[in-house]
Amino acid sequence: MEYFELAIGCIFINNILLAQFLGNCPFLGTSKKMETAVGMSMAVVFVMVMAGIFTWTVDTYLLKGLGVEYLRTVSFILVIASLVQFVEMFLKKSIPGLYAGLGIFLPLITTNCAVMGACLLNISKEYSFMQALAASFFYAIGFGLALILFAGVRERINLARVPKALQDTSIGLVTAGMIALTFTAFKGMV
Amino acid sequence: MLEALLFMLGIGALCGIVLSLSSKVFYVYEDPRIAQVENNLAGANCGGCGFAGCSAAAEAIVSGKEAPSLCIINSKEGVEAVSRIMGVDAGSAEPPMSYNMCEGGNRAADKYHYMGVSSCKAMAVVFGGKRVCGVGCIGLGDCVKACKFDAVYMGPDGHPVVIDEKCVGCGACQKSCPKDIIEVKTLTEKLMKFNQKHDPLAPCAQTCPAEINIPRYINQLKNGQYKEAVQTIRMRNPLPLACGRVCPHPCENECRRGVEDEPVSINQLKRFVADYEMNSGSRLPITCAPDTGKKVAVIGGGPAGLSCAFFLRRIGHQVDIFEAMPKLGGIIRYGIPEYRLPKKVLDWEIQGILDLGIKAFTHVRFGEDFGLGSLMASGYNAVFMGIGAWKDYALGIEGEDLDGCYKGIDWLQRFSSGQEMKLGKTAAVVGGGNSAIDCVRTLIRLGLEKVYIVYRRTRNEMPANEVEIVAAEEEGIEFVFLAAPTRVIGDDDGKAIGLEYLKMELGEPDASGRRRPVPVEGSETVLDVDMVISAISQAPDPSFKDKDPHTRMDDLELTRWNTIDSDPATLQSSIPYIFTGGDAATGPALVVDAIGGGRRAARSIDLFLKGEAVVPPKDSLQNKRIHESIFTSVEGIRQIKRAKMPELHVDQRLDSMVEVDLVLPEAEAHREADRCLNCCRICYDPDTDFPIAK
Amino acid sequence: MAQSLAKEFTKGLWAELPPFRLVLGLCPVLAVTKTVENGLGMGIATTFVLVFSNLLVSMLRNVIPTKVRIACYIVIIATFVTIVEFLAQAFAYPLFLALGIFIPLIVVNCIVLGRAEAFASKNTPVMAIADGLGIGIGFTLSLGAIGLVREFLGAGTITIWGGTPVFDMTSVFANFQPFGFMIEAPGAFVALGLMLAVMNLIPSK
Repeated sequence: MEYFELAIGCIFINNILLAQFLGNCPFLGTSKKMETAVGMSMAVVFVMVMAGIFTWTVDTYLLKGLGVEYLRTVSFILVIASLVQFVEMFLKKSIPGLYAGLGIFLPLITTNCAVMGACLLNISKEYSFMQALAASFFYAIGFGLALILFAGVRERINLARVPKALQDTSIGLVTAGMIALTFTAFKGMV
Repeated sequence: MLEALLFMLGIGALCGIVLSLSSKVFYVYEDPRIAQVENNLAGANCGGCGFAGCSAAAEAIVSGKEAPSLCIINSKEGVEAVSRIMGVDAGSAEPPMSYNMCEGGNRAADKYHYMGVSSCKAMAVVFGGKRVCGVGCIGLGDCVKACKFDAVYMGPDGHPVVIDEKCVGCGACQKSCPKDIIEVKTLTEKLMKFNQKHDPLAPCAQTCPAEINIPRYINQLKNGQYKEAVQTIRMRNPLPLACGRVCPHPCENECRRGVEDEPVSINQLKRFVADYEMNSGSRLPITCAPDTGKKVAVIGGGPAGLSCAFFLRRIGHQVDIFEAMPKLGGIIRYGIPEYRLPKKVLDWEIQGILDLGIKAFTHVRFGEDFGLGSLMASGYNAVFMGIGAWKDYALGIEGEDLDGCYKGIDWLQRFSSGQEMKLGKTAAVVGGGNSAIDCVRTLIRLGLEKVYIVYRRTRNEMPANEVEIVAAEEEGIEFVFLAAPTRVIGDDDGKAIGLEYLKMELGEPDASGRRRPVPVEGSETVLDVDMVISAISQAPDPSFKDKDPHTRMDDLELTRWNTIDSDPATLQSSIPYIFTGGDAATGPALVVDAIGGGRRAARSIDLFLKGEAVVPPKDSLQNKRIHESIFTSVEGIRQIKRAKMPELHVDQRLDSMVEVDLVLPEAEAHREADRCLNCCRICYDPDTDFPIAK
Repeated sequence: MAQSLAKEFTKGLWAELPPFRLVLGLCPVLAVTKTVENGLGMGIATTFVLVFSNLLVSMLRNVIPTKVRIACYIVIIATFVTIVEFLAQAFAYPLFLALGIFIPLIVVNCIVLGRAEAFASKNTPVMAIADGLGIGIGFTLSLGAIGLVREFLGAGTITIWGGTPVFDMTSVFANFQPFGFMIEAPGAFVALGLMLAVMNLIPSK
C-alpha cells in the first residue's frame, strides 16, 4: 500500500514535468513527434532508475559517511554523467538493438534536470533504498506519461489553425498548461 | 577539507578510469565527422533542436538530414565550423537552395475552398489535398511558416516565392511541404533535373526537347525581369540567341492558347530576352559549381557538344571541346545561313560558353588528328561524341555527279566557310526540309535568276518550318511539288543542264494517314537548270571509326543509319565511357533536340564520373505528355492576334545576307507575354473574368 | 573591442533573451516564478554561476582537453552552484528555502552549459564575462517579468524583496479576489506560453 501511494503520488500528483517543473527543455524539444516522445520516455525510465540507485548509494555511504554533504551537487552530476556515458557505450557495443531505440536519447538525459531533480528529491525526502528505487521508477513513468500525452496532443495541434504568434512553442506551453490543469485533479487522491 | 578533496579526487578518478576503459572495450566505429560536428555543437544536450541530445543532432547533420545551423544555441563560429566539416560553406561547395516547382496554379477555381483547414499538411492529411491538381501547391504556406530565415514568402498569386539571398538551404520548407513541390536543391541538381511525371508542367514545357520552363520565363518577361528570364532559359539551354532565331518551336504546337486562339509566340519571346542580354552590352554572370577534378572531352562543337560542355562545366567538371572545323558552332554555323543566324550573334553566344572556362581546340578531326587512345592518354575520364550528321544522302539517280551538282549540307558548309564555288544562273534544290529552304534562300541572295525547289509531295507535307516556306515564297522561289527527280541531264562537257523529274499524284492514304505520292507514267518533265543541289537528309559520317587506330573503337556500335547506338534515355553508347547526343545519336533533328540531348548526356556523364549507375531519370517524361494537362478546351479566352514577327521587307533582303527576322519591340513582347495563359498541369489563366475564388 | 563587448552584452538582453528567444532553461522559469522576488533571486543566482563559470571556462579554455571538456565544464559549473548554495543559505535563507532544489539544479540548466561550450570556450575572459552578464541579466529580467505577471494576477501582490509585498491589490480594491490559477503549476505554463506569443509579435531584430 505504501508503494501504491508512492506510485500515485509520483506519477500523478507530483508529476515531475507538470507539477515539479523538471525536465521541461526535452519536454518541449522531443514532444514534436510521438516516435521521439516514446523513445525519450523509455530512456528516461532506464536512466532515472539507474541514477536513483547510484546517487542514493553515493549519498548514503560516501557523502554522509565522510560528512561532505555539500559536495552533493558536484558528485551527483559527475555520477549521472559518467553513468549515462557508460550505459551509452555499453549499449552501443553489446545491445545494438536497444541502443538504436534508446541510445540517441541517453546523452540528452545527462543534463536533464528531471533525472538530477528526482535524485535530489529522493535524498531530501529521506527515502530508504527501496523507496528511492520505486520513487525514481514512478517519477520516470510520470515523465513518460506526460510526455507521450503531450506529444499526442501536439501532433493534433499541428493540424489546427493557430494564430501566428502562438505557433509552435507558445501554443505548446499553453497546451502543457491545460494538461497540467487536468493533473491537478489528482490532488487529494492520497 | 581533506575528506572533501580526497572524495572529489576519488570519484573523479573512478569516473575517468571507468569511462576511458569502457571507451576502449565498447569501441564501435562511427563516421569520424559525427564526433567532429558534435565537438562544435553547444554540447548542452538541451534538446532544443528537437533531437535527443547533441550526438543525435550531430548524426543527423552528418547524414545530411539537418542543416549545420541546427543547434539553436550554437555560436556563429560553431555553425561555421560545422559547415566547414560538412563542406557546405558557401566558399567551398555549392549551397543548396530552396526552389519552388509549382507556380502556375493560381487559377484552380477551388483555390481557397479549404473548409477552414489552415495548413497544407492538414489539408493533405485530411482531404488528400483539395486542389483539383493532384500534384500542385496547396498554397496554405506551410513552407513559409517553416522557414526560420524569412526566405520564403507567399507571392501575390498564392504561391511561395523563395528569396535566394536569404535561403541557407536548411531544408525546413521541403520537409514541411506535403506535396514535394518546394525542394531544396543544389545547382547541380537543378541543372540536371529532367521532367518527371509528377512535375507541375505546362504542355509547352513538357514538349520542349530542352525542357525549358517556358511559363516561368514568360512570366519573368511580363514582370520586366529580363535578366531572370535569360537565367531561366540558361538553366536548360545555353544557346538562347541561336534557338530564338532558328528553333521551329514545337512547344508552340502544344500551347493551350492555340486550342481557342493562336498559340503564344514563345520563341520570339525567347529571342527578345536573349537579344536584350546581348544588346545590354554585358553578359549575365553564369554560376558554376566548384571543381570536381574530373575531365571530359567533348568531340564536336555543335549545339549538342556546346550544350553538353556548358552543363558539364556548370556542374563543376573540366571540359575541352575538339572541333574539326575552324570555328565552333557546328551545323548552326556552317549549315544555317547568315541571314537566319548572323555569325556575329553566334560568336557572341559561343564566347559566353567558353568564358566559363572551357577550352576549345579547333581544326582537329576525330579519328585523324586525334583518337580515343590519345584522349585516354591525356587523362579524360569520359568522352562525349556530338559529331553531328554531316553526310548527305545521295539521290541515287543518274547524272548526280555531273559538274554543277551538289549536296545540300556540303554546299551550305562550303559556302559558309567562304570557299569559292562556281554558281550557275538557274538552280533546282531537291528536298522539302529546312536545309533545302536554306539552300534556295541562299541561292536567290547570290543573284541567281531562277531558283526551284523540287519536292515529291505537296506543300502541306513539307517538313520545313512554315515561316521559312512563307519567306521563300515571298522571296520568289518557285515551288515544284509532286515531282520525283529521275536524272540529271548533262551536256557533252559533263556539265549539268537540266533536271528531269516524274510528276506524281497523291494516291491512297498510307499507314501514317498521309496520302502516298505515286508516279504518273510518262509524265517526265525537264527543268532547265545548271545547278542541282540535293538536300534530302543526312547521316553521321562513320569514317572516324575506321580511321581511329585504337582497337577499342571496334566496340562502338552504330545503327543502320550510321548514328551512334545509344540508350535514348541515358545516351550512353556501347562503350561505357562514351556518350553521345544530337544528330550523331538521333539522325538529323532540331537544334533544340541536340541541346536537350547534350544536357541529358551531361547528366549521364556526371553519374558515370561519380561512379553511380547510369540510369534514366525516374518517371521520366521524355517524349511523353501528362495526359491530364492536355486539356482540349479553355474557357474564357478573348481572341487576341499573335504578335507578328517583324522582318526585313523582301526588297531589302534579296541582295544581301543581312538577318531577315527581327526582334519584337519591347511593348509588343509584353503584349505577347500577356497572352500566355500561364498553364500548369491543369491550372490556366485566361485573360477574361474567369471566376477565381479568392 | 568596446563595441563588440557591448554587442555581446546586449544580445542577451534582447536578441538572445534566454527563456523567450532561445526557449531554454525553462524549468526554473516555470517553477520559481510564483513571485517576483523568487524569480529575481533565481535569476541572480544563475547570473552568478553564468559569469563565474564563463570566466573560469574561458581562462582554462586552452588547458582543458577537448575530449573531456563537457565533464570539466560540468564540474566547474557544479562548483559555482555549490558556492551559490552556500551564499544563499547564509545571506538569503528564506529565498534558499523557496527555491529549494532548483538551486542545485542550476548545474543542469542548459543555458549555463550552453554558454560555456558555445561562447566561453572560444572567447577571451573579458568577452566571456560580458556574455555571461548579458545573458544572466536577460534571464533575471525575464524571470522577474514572468514572476510579475504571475504574482500580480495570481495573488494580486508584487513582492520585490524581503517577503513583504510592495504593492497589494487588496489595498486598492478591498474585495479583490486573486486569479489563483496563475500561481499554480498550470498557470506557469499558460503564462509563459502567452508571454512567448507576445514576444513573437515583436521582431527580434
